[in-house]
Amino acid sequence: MTSRTDLPVSVGSLELESPVIIASGVWPYEAELWSAERLEGVGALCTKAVSLKGRTGNKGVRVWETPCGMLNSIGLQNAGVHAFLNDYLPIVRNARRPFLVNLVMESEREVRESICALREVPGIPALELNISCPNVDGDGMAWGISPGSTAHAVRIARSEWSGALWVKLTPQSPDLAEVAKAAEEEGADALVCGNTWLGMAMDIKKKRLAFQRGVAGLSGPAVFPLALRTVWQVCGAVKIPVVGCGGVSSWEDAAAMILAGATAVEVGSALFTDFDLPRKIAAGLSDYLAEQKIDSISGLSGLGRQ
Amino acid sequence: MNCGGSAPRDYKAKVAGSRVLGDGSCLLAVECGSIASAAEPGQFVMVRPGTCGDPFLGRPLAVASASGEIFKIVYRVVGRGTELLASKRQGDSLVVRGPIGRGFFSARNALPLPKKVILAGGSVGAAPLLFAVRRLGVNSIADVVMGVSGKGWEGFSEWLRESFPGVSLFSDDGTIGMKGTVLDGLPADLPPDTEIWACGPEGMLRAVAAKYPADGARIRVALESRMACGMGGCLGCVIPTASGNRRVCVDGPVFTAEEVLWNDISN
Repeated sequence: MTSRTDLPVSVGSLELESPVIIASGVWPYEAELWSAERLEGVGALCTKAVSLKGRTGNKGVRVWETPCGMLNSIGLQNAGVHAFLNDYLPIVRNARRPFLVNLVMESEREVRESICALREVPGIPALELNISCPNVDGDGMAWGISPGSTAHAVRIARSEWSGALWVKLTPQSPDLAEVAKAAEEEGADALVCGNTWLGMAMDIKKKRLAFQRGVAGLSGPAVFPLALRTVWQVCGAVKIPVVGCGGVSSWEDAAAMILAGATAVEVGSALFTDFDLPRKIAAGLSDYLAEQKIDSISGLSGLGRQ
Repeated sequence: MNCGGSAPRDYKAKVAGSRVLGDGSCLLAVECGSIASAAEPGQFVMVRPGTCGDPFLGRPLAVASASGEIFKIVYRVVGRGTELLASKRQGDSLVVRGPIGRGFFSARNALPLPKKVILAGGSVGAAPLLFAVRRLGVNSIADVVMGVSGKGWEGFSEWLRESFPGVSLFSDDGTIGMKGTVLDGLPADLPPDTEIWACGPEGMLRAVAAKYPADGARIRVALESRMACGMGGCLGCVIPTASGNRRVCVDGPVFTAEEVLWNDISN
């Protein structure tokens, strides 16, 4: 971990040594990858999405490269909350960093049951409530589209979970500022803005849509300007910390999101092409702060709004 | 979980040589001692031909040989990424993630090698088998059966003959080697203490598996899949197996034909 004193940042009650967070859905549970040596520059990690029961995910093509990005339709494949706690939580703890369990917003009953299971285990620092996955029917993104359903989802999670609660928003909401306010009013501690962008691919050889569900989530550098705009919008709407997520693939991207008002950033697809990216972002930000004569990341946050 | 050894790493590597085998197939020699010394037959690397985010993802390509500081890959130019790769010249730099996955040897979980291995390859699926034949050693006899589509593959077939002296070569149109497919070069029944190690298009692997329905445990297939990360994270490359979805990148790419639920694979 870096010994720099300018990078530590607080996101609500979570103290991170760096503002670079590994986004949900990208980091496997291979134990070696959760060692300090492989996580240089990483302030926190989000687990892959966890649901009450295991899910096999979507059939057919799951990933599709696009210009400067990719589409995915994984469909929340995971072993379920109990298998997560038994098999993977010990590996996650080895990272010796704050982590967030990314919890799929399913039905009210399922989410309450999942949180009960997570609550039984001491030392889980935070939940990232996923109301934004575009790759499943009924759950995920369906909750995050409107302020009303967002409020409902956050109210349920908040009533069961007293630890840090982050809510991961979807850029597909036509009313993102109101969605963000609804999550804040229901007690979210921070907002993650946001998840992948709904897209599509046509397989011109097969003359049909590439993905069996038709739609899929777009990520990668291609979405960065879109994500930056939503971060700007959400930061202007709420007082709780906002974590920028979407297409971040360099320290300059991270700096831009933080200048727009983000407290920290999540990095996802860019890790598919560079394991060392968190270290590079952290180092780049630190050099930038020194050059700009700014003491800390929190001093940088929102400066671009003036 | 990944039992294939260490998780892969990213390396800045240099092109040590590039050779057009003809007809859109190319051989690329890459200087990267860390991957060359650790790679085993069946493992692959993710090669990033671009550095500016486009093409965004690495290309999964099997290691065809490894010696000293150099490893080689053989690929077919099929799109923008491989076109860019084909334009690389000696001394150009590349970003490579690897070595990735469980190869023909580590996927055995310490099971002893058979007396005889029949290596069955379709087109550039020959690459990891070339590496395998060199690592099999003197205790196992290897027969090599390769298939290409035919006209247009003369240059590649020449390279196959150089690489595998004694190869039985088949082509769909009969213009190269014998007319037929890899299947025609395989025995009607799989003799005792013999295994087939196969790599090639999914249709070919499926047909090899179907030819010996009772011997799936002795048929090892190196699978291909669309993938994004090459580290087991994205779950984009999973295939259905008897023990649930498994990741081609780090749980494979070598599986036994018996494990794979061929009828459930959907593209």
